[in-house]
Amino acid sequence: MRNILKLGIFLLVVAGVAGLALSYVNTLTEPIVISQEQENKINSFKEVYPEAETVKDESSKYLKSDEQKIITEVNVAYKNGNPVGVIYTVEPKGYAGAVRTLVGFDIAAKKITAIKVLSQKETPGLGAKSSEASFMDRFKGKSAESAVEIIKKEPVNGNQVLAITAATITSKAVASGVNAAREHFIANFVKS
Amino acid sequence: MSLAKEFSKGIVSDNPLFRLTLGMCPSLAITTSVANGIGMGAAFTAVLLASNIAISLLRKIIPDSIRIPCYIVIIASFVTITEMVMHAYAPALFKSLGIFIPLIVVNCIILGRAEAFASKNGVFASVLDALGMGVGYTLALVIVSTVREVLGAGTFYGIPLGGASAQSALIMILPPGGFIALGCILALLNKLQNKTR
Amino acid sequence: MQEMFVIIIGAVFINNIVLSQFLGICPFLGVSKKLSSAVGMGVAVTFVMALAAIITWLVQQLVLVPLGIGYLQTIAFILVIASLVQFVEMVIRKTSPDLYRALGVYLPLITTNCAVLGIAIVNIQKSYTLASSLVNSVANALGFTLALVLMAGIRERLEDADIPKSLQGMPISLITAALMSVAFLGFTGLL
Repeated sequence: MRNILKLGIFLLVVAGVAGLALSYVNTLTEPIVISQEQENKINSFKEVYPEAETVKDESSKYLKSDEQKIITEVNVAYKNGNPVGVIYTVEPKGYAGAVRTLVGFDIAAKKITAIKVLSQKETPGLGAKSSEASFMDRFKGKSAESAVEIIKKEPVNGNQVLAITAATITSKAVASGVNAAREHFIANFVKS
Repeated sequence: MSLAKEFSKGIVSDNPLFRLTLGMCPSLAITTSVANGIGMGAAFTAVLLASNIAISLLRKIIPDSIRIPCYIVIIASFVTITEMVMHAYAPALFKSLGIFIPLIVVNCIILGRAEAFASKNGVFASVLDALGMGVGYTLALVIVSTVREVLGAGTFYGIPLGGASAQSALIMILPPGGFIALGCILALLNKLQNKTR
Repeated sequence: MQEMFVIIIGAVFINNIVLSQFLGICPFLGVSKKLSSAVGMGVAVTFVMALAAIITWLVQQLVLVPLGIGYLQTIAFILVIASLVQFVEMVIRKTSPDLYRALGVYLPLITTNCAVLGIAIVNIQKSYTLASSLVNSVANALGFTLALVLMAGIRERLEDADIPKSLQGMPISLITAALMSVAFLGFTGLL
């Protein structure tokens, strides 16, 4: 019995020392991790809406909990204290899971400023090309007033976007995210 | 066994991946690019080195009957520390290795070295053993990931090889590619060994 | 209900734990020589994974999160799993000698089966509820069993095949797994 107690205490001491060491390292690394994530977020916001001075997360104001499933975040970009743009985070379902995408809109021009695919698990070499600039740039400057449409040949109309070769499902997923953001944008930010 | 041999056995004769076929999961999962292979190898080596040192130092204090739980706690702590450091200083690598960083805990090689070597040998020999095994495992990961990245993505460490017209064999960076690459490398090593005998 | 269905199909076929996520490779290659032992291992893993899912979820939500010590996750989970395996082994040995004879040898191997720890972590990462965690774990364990049993079936036949000397053993198993993985790749995009 006494032996078991001794062993138990020994194990407890080992676990205690380990816990202390970990919490110490955590206090060192956690601030770096947090500031890095913050910086990443700001940088990617800058990519989809370069003119933003300050960006505020206003998801709680614009998103009703169970109504919207594709849009996960609404960030409003301000310049001189006035809202000038909106940056959406959308998570449409692609071929192999969510394709997390940022979509930026300009309020005055009613146009898509840019999109950026943040993370995806699509097939390497096919759907994964969605996070390459060559695809993301195809959405630049599209009007927010009509739906973006994915087609497989060279686009003729203004709101058509050329699909990624052999990855139509991924292309359409990105477009569906963009369209969900677009509808929300028109309904909430554009005064008719 | 001489000290030099403690180091070199992990690289050639007892290579953990190619000879002992231990630690297969990460070697198949994260070897889609050479950068991942090196990152995983470095994280693995760091954990193995730290846990070998700690266990070798504590080998006379740890009661025999609860040594395995103690080893697990020690290894898990070092894995968590490695994970935190990577998260802070190498976030891209942290993201691409993902769940396989915490899973270093259950990598049979580390617990195996603790039980078979560090618990019976001095600190210096344990360091050499850990370095040898770590370098051997890293080397093996780099070989597998080189095969996969060059064939599957047409690049080496992110540097494109061949022209834009070169068509890469996508399957090599998809899951089956991991099995194919490792299977063929092991077969090749067997072939070489049979020849020298 | 629909969510559960999606989780099950996803875990068993699309993201098969062995063939596309590469968890639990060691037992997959080590215990797939005979069909009967493959089934035994599969049952033991399913049992442990289901229990581990519940306990690790509770530990995470009731201990680690409230105390703000999420960084102790790895260490807590591996200890939970290791003691769980010990405990299950003891209980089975006491209560059902028959079951122990069938599963006993596989139990110690499960502690270092990365599938158990891996799925426990994934459950937390995907912020599943307790019910979804349980379903996900069982579905993944079934995926593991499926891959293991299929592999054992193939390897029993390979015994009689004339395999080149260099390919015997591990290499041919890996290449067999590659072909199975290609087949399972066909399930992507099913949902």
